[in-house]
Amino acid sequence: MMFIIIGITLCLPSAGYLIVENVRQISTKIQHEAEISIFLKKDISQDQIDFIDSALRSSSEIKKIHFEPKLTAWEKLQSKLKLSTLDIGISENPLPDGFFITLNTLSNTKIKKLTEDLKLISGVDNIVVDGSWIKKLRAIIYMVKIGLFSLGTLLVIVLIVIISNTIRLQTLTYQNEILVSKLIGATNSFIHRPFIYTGLIYGLGGGIITVGTLKSIVFTFNNMAEKYEYILGNSITLVGLSAVNYTIIVLLAMTIGLFSSFFAARQSIKKLEKSY
Amino acid sequence: MIKFDRVFKKYPGEMDALQDISLEILSGELVFVTGPSGAGKSTLLKLISAVEKPTNGSIIFENTNLSELRNKDMPFLRRKFGMIFQDHKLLYDRNCFENVVLPLEINDINPADSARRVRAALNKVGLLNKEKMNPITLSGGEQQRLAIARAIVSRPLILIADEPTGNLDKSYADEIMNIFYSFQQVGVTVIISCHELPQSPIKFKQIHLIKGQISNSDKHVPLLS
Ligand SMILES: Nc1ncnc2c1ncn2[C@@H]1O[C@H](COP(=O)(O)OP(=O)(O)O)[C@@H](O)[C@H]1O
Ligand SMILES: [Mg+2]
Repeated sequence: MMFIIIGITLCLPSAGYLIVENVRQISTKIQHEAEISIFLKKDISQDQIDFIDSALRSSSEIKKIHFEPKLTAWEKLQSKLKLSTLDIGISENPLPDGFFITLNTLSNTKIKKLTEDLKLISGVDNIVVDGSWIKKLRAIIYMVKIGLFSLGTLLVIVLIVIISNTIRLQTLTYQNEILVSKLIGATNSFIHRPFIYTGLIYGLGGGIITVGTLKSIVFTFNNMAEKYEYILGNSITLVGLSAVNYTIIVLLAMTIGLFSSFFAARQSIKKLEKSY
Repeated sequence: MIKFDRVFKKYPGEMDALQDISLEILSGELVFVTGPSGAGKSTLLKLISAVEKPTNGSIIFENTNLSELRNKDMPFLRRKFGMIFQDHKLLYDRNCFENVVLPLEINDINPADSARRVRAALNKVGLLNKEKMNPITLSGGEQQRLAIARAIVSRPLILIADEPTGNLDKSYADEIMNIFYSFQQVGVTVIISCHELPQSPIKFKQIHLIKGQISNSDKHVPLLS
């Protein structure tokens, strides 16, 4: 019973963590690149454009450079909006020439430095850093992680309360045994020992159930994903946590069991002695 | 071995259970603590075995002042005593063997030696054939003997028994007393409380208590009879 309570309780945050880890891993696999749009001044000359182009090519942070003349951009926009120049009464192209570059870094400081350097080049009018959705996703993952951590902390507290209470009841069951043992010379550690073992076993059992549940979630999910692959188009696989993480879960459960049983037993036995 | 110097004991909210007790118990002595009910016999035994602490005065046990004893040293002191409580304090969710083995578990004796010593102790009190039985099924005299077996199994220096013959028939009482006498004869200090002085074939010391005070004619040096 206790195993299941601990197992399921620890499952909630760790399953959340498992999913977040998977999303994070997918997010790193998907193109991790930031994009910058450099819009040029309207009255720019071809020489200046060529100069900027060569300047960009010399930067090591830049992976891909795409130049889009204002005319192409204008035509694209028009066809997208299915408009003709006449319809909106604009005869002049309002769009500037632009470089669209892809960076090979996501580091904020590097991007900042690059944009500042670019701004200094004459002919550059405006720079827009593409707020990459990957970055947003990462921020969300980060927040979800914090949420999970808080949830986990709360649930650990709940577990501590449940285990402590169980151990306390057990000390009451063994009240006579404890008092008699004390009278004939048992040390506190001798008296605490069986309760601490109980707490450790609770933690071990609960931890193993958590790990088992997580593994079966992964297994079931992947089985299902495989079955529905033809609907989904491609298969999504959930990757289980690492052995280290699984070990940490079991050790954490055992630590919770150990500490809550130790403090509960100590507290309760002190009280017993006073009432005696 | 044990020396009381002007010891007072007062339980919270009660009158003094013991007043101005000074006495000395020597190693290997047989001591009877006598007196009517409520005179403070149990309290005196609890002070000797450091189950209770005195409110005032000093109790010296083998050069250790019990009031100055640190809590963490207490268990090791208690192990020197074999205690037989007035209400036995047997554990009724364990069988006889398991009751007697408890002090050896506490002393971390290995199981093989323990088993041998438990059987020797049970044999000594005539309960060897009942080791698997639950103490609740034993008669009053047998429970008393089981409590004695538990007290002697750890080879204590001092045996302390609180009214061990209190509600036993005379023939059973004599049997119990003989067990104590046999231990005194091999050098164990034996301290027994009882309402009335029993017939003793051996030399003993009496501490007679009335209303928490020693009523032997000389308060500081209990009479030797
Ligand atoms: N734990 C206790 N708390 C309060 N009063 C106690 C306690 N134990 C004994 N007393 C009181 O101390 C006095 C002596 O008791 P006790 O030592 O048990 O006497 P005896 O063993 O001679 O019958 C009695 O008045 C009793 O009510
Ligand atoms: Mg008494």
